[in-house]
Amino acid sequence: MNVPPLIKTAGITKSFPGVLANDHIDFDLFPGEVHTLLGENGAGKTTLMNILYGLYQPDEGHIEVCGQKTRIRSPYDSLKLGIGMVHQHFALIPNLSVLENLVLGFEGGFILNMKDAEKKLKRISEEYGQAIDPHELIQNLSVGERQRTEIIKTLFRGSEALILDEPTSVLTPIEAEELFQTITTLKNAGKGVVLITHKLNEALAISDRISILSLGRKIAELNGDELRSMDEKDATEKILNIMFGGKPIPECSLVEKTISDQVVLKLEDVEVMNSRGVVGLNKVSFEIRGGEIFGIAGVDGNGQKSLCEAIGGQRELVSGRIRFRGEDISRKSVSKRHEMGISYITDDRMNEGCVLDLSLAENAILRGYCQPPYSRFNIIDNTVVDRFANKLIMDFDVKATGPYVRTGTLSGGNIQKFILARGLSTEPGLIICSKPTYGLDARTVNYIQELLLEESKQGTSVLLITSEMDELINCSDRIGVLFNGKIMAILDKCDATPEKIGKLMLGIEE
Amino acid sequence: MKKIEFNDIAPAFYSVLSIVFALITGAVILIFIGKNPLLYFGQLFFQGMFSPLGLVESIIKMAPLLIISAGLLACFSAGLWNIGVEGQFLIGAVLAGWSAPTLASLLPYPIYLLSVAALGAMGGMFWILLPAVLKARYDMNEIITTMMMNWVAINLVTWLVKGPINDPTSVPAQTALIPMEHRLSMIPFTSIHIGLIVGIICLFIMHYVIRKTTLGYEFRVLLSNKRAAFHSGMNVARITIWGLLISGGFAGLAGVSDVLAIKGLFQGDWNPAYGMTAIPLVFLARFNGWAVVPLAFFFSFLSVGGEFVARDQGVPIFFVHILEGLTLLFFAASEYIEKRRAF
Ligand SMILES: Nc1ncnc2c1ncn2[C@@H]1O[C@H](COP(=O)(O)OP(=O)(O)OP(=O)(O)O)[C@@H](O)[C@H]1O
Ligand SMILES: [Mg+2]
Repeated sequence: MNVPPLIKTAGITKSFPGVLANDHIDFDLFPGEVHTLLGENGAGKTTLMNILYGLYQPDEGHIEVCGQKTRIRSPYDSLKLGIGMVHQHFALIPNLSVLENLVLGFEGGFILNMKDAEKKLKRISEEYGQAIDPHELIQNLSVGERQRTEIIKTLFRGSEALILDEPTSVLTPIEAEELFQTITTLKNAGKGVVLITHKLNEALAISDRISILSLGRKIAELNGDELRSMDEKDATEKILNIMFGGKPIPECSLVEKTISDQVVLKLEDVEVMNSRGVVGLNKVSFEIRGGEIFGIAGVDGNGQKSLCEAIGGQRELVSGRIRFRGEDISRKSVSKRHEMGISYITDDRMNEGCVLDLSLAENAILRGYCQPPYSRFNIIDNTVVDRFANKLIMDFDVKATGPYVRTGTLSGGNIQKFILARGLSTEPGLIICSKPTYGLDARTVNYIQELLLEESKQGTSVLLITSEMDELINCSDRIGVLFNGKIMAILDKCDATPEKIGKLMLGIEE
Repeated sequence: MKKIEFNDIAPAFYSVLSIVFALITGAVILIFIGKNPLLYFGQLFFQGMFSPLGLVESIIKMAPLLIISAGLLACFSAGLWNIGVEGQFLIGAVLAGWSAPTLASLLPYPIYLLSVAALGAMGGMFWILLPAVLKARYDMNEIITTMMMNWVAINLVTWLVKGPINDPTSVPAQTALIPMEHRLSMIPFTSIHIGLIVGIICLFIMHYVIRKTTLGYEFRVLLSNKRAAFHSGMNVARITIWGLLISGGFAGLAGVSDVLAIKGLFQGDWNPAYGMTAIPLVFLARFNGWAVVPLAFFFSFLSVGGEFVARDQGVPIFFVHILEGLTLLFFAASEYIEKRRAF
């Protein structure tokens, strides 16, 4: 190619206290290509992209944009240079409309010309097939729609290069499909797209080039010819081999386990309102036995959150009853239920699962701080807490320099690992986990799934809410399908097929 | 479990730097209004810090600031903004002025002191109860409600000393004078009342409550992420109410200390407005109890010295408030710079 790359980094190095996040990375992106970044959790993918976006300054190395050596001092600079980024955990302002969010911070004179903006938004929507209602408030949008808004926002500002950091981890399969169509359209329109993902099948389906990072270094680059010369299976194998150094990935084993007769959790006609005051669960009844993994399938926003919170205790029941080991817990507080052995691992790790501004040690006791050994007579025992946090870090191989680091400095996947470690540490009787493997690299995904199976073999019951069809079918003993706050059907493992579940998820009964 | 930022040396550096910058800017302003900054600051420092009279005066003035700051540590570290310190202070003070003469004649000295202190602290707590409940139950902005309670308090105490609890034997609107032997005792060999020691003790208790206890932990979680607090089963309403009540209680106690030690009675139009100084003070100390002490000394030295200088050089007394404001301004700027430097 003779055209200069849209973006090129040469020898980019960035270190944080105790971590070398990027180590002499050369990376480039040409117009009309999709360049995918792969790498284990904490490999340095987000850091590299944040440098391109102007959030961090590199310690060494330089950046070229369209062949010109430049310094990107802030996101403002990077937007002006035509680089747009949609973050791993994106931040739109919830009580503004789509349109208002788009024009926010956009230079175009002091008086916001909403009419023009709306026209422009319409044009972009049509051009790239991204329909969205400009006047809808962000808080009323689904995650997929919010992400779409983020993408439109970058296009609105005339970005030529788009960085998408793990865009599909929050999407439903259908939304992911739509996103890939958009990416293809963008690519054909001559824009460059950097895609960060942990899902190899996605990467292989859409990438023109793949770069692999590990421990801050770029360890491989597969170009178009190489990728085309292999079929998907070979390519996957090759990439995993590069990423994890040939260490075998444990397969989800199907060792026999026994499900006890004891009913651990029993829901009887449970009804709750969701956070928007609409019916969240509509007379839901099911039971989970000791050692059973009960999967919940469903398109996001069909009552999953309400279900978790109803059992976890964060949401009040309108009617119905929940029993745990025979005892009625419908009116018990969150902490009481936690003491009884219910551990709820939320999927909203940044907003609910942890306090980003506090240290890992402080986050480790978010649930147990009131109980010994973490505190006695209301005095927190720091030595015990530190040791506990250290254990969580070790056991789950969390990439952090110690229990005192601010949780917000961890990479997305490592925060998720830490939260899982904490949720599983208490030897609970019931684990409610929502999207436990989202944002984790392939090896860790397997490890977590193994661990859930292991827990269930020890007699723990698990309520597994996930949008990954493979995970759902591989791990669950039975699967309930949620649609519109109702359980459409409960399938046994042996007759659960993706097609069947897919239909039920859309509300189509047999 | 170590706090991440609080213990580093950098914050102290930035706080001192903002004070220095504020003084320099103050000097420039003085030049503009035709005063000699060297003369002004020379006398300010000499009178407020190096003359025995000024020094003692400055130290005495620290007591209410320390006590109020102790309470503010609690609510600020929970992200609750009690702006109504003045009102709670006045309620505590008026209760002390009203009850002390009677209780003093009925009870032995130590018990009398403790009862008046408890009464004042409870008064301060009572005065913030409504804002606290409104915040906890309806998430009503406590900045506005506590500020409104200030105005109510100011008017209420004026009315009280004019009528219901007025001392009929004296002409002005005030309560009965507390005899000298019933005042707060002095630290041995000094003319500094024990309010200073009370303040230091309060401060350090709160410093450790915030860092070592479960309540303090709850405060810190609430400050940074209310949703996580709720999600993990904390009783957010209870924590909110406690945070605000503690701050109100200490403000009331400060009122008691000033009445029992310095004023000896409660006067209708008396309002030292310590809140205006204590609130920036706690920010400048970055919620660190140890750092509050030197800063409280600095601020009370400013106001004592400023009073002296105002008489001599005709620089209005509120010039020291300008210095305080400037300090806070530079402090805000330094926080911004520090954040930028982190990347
Ligand atoms: N602001 C920061 N301060 C300190 N360390 C940081 C900071 N940002 C990132 N790190 C560290 O740099 C390393 C790389 O993080 P990065 O977020 O780039 O990983 P990633 O490849 O995006 O991982 P993931 O797949 O989990 O999102 C991590 O070990 C992380 O802890
Ligand atoms: Mg990342």
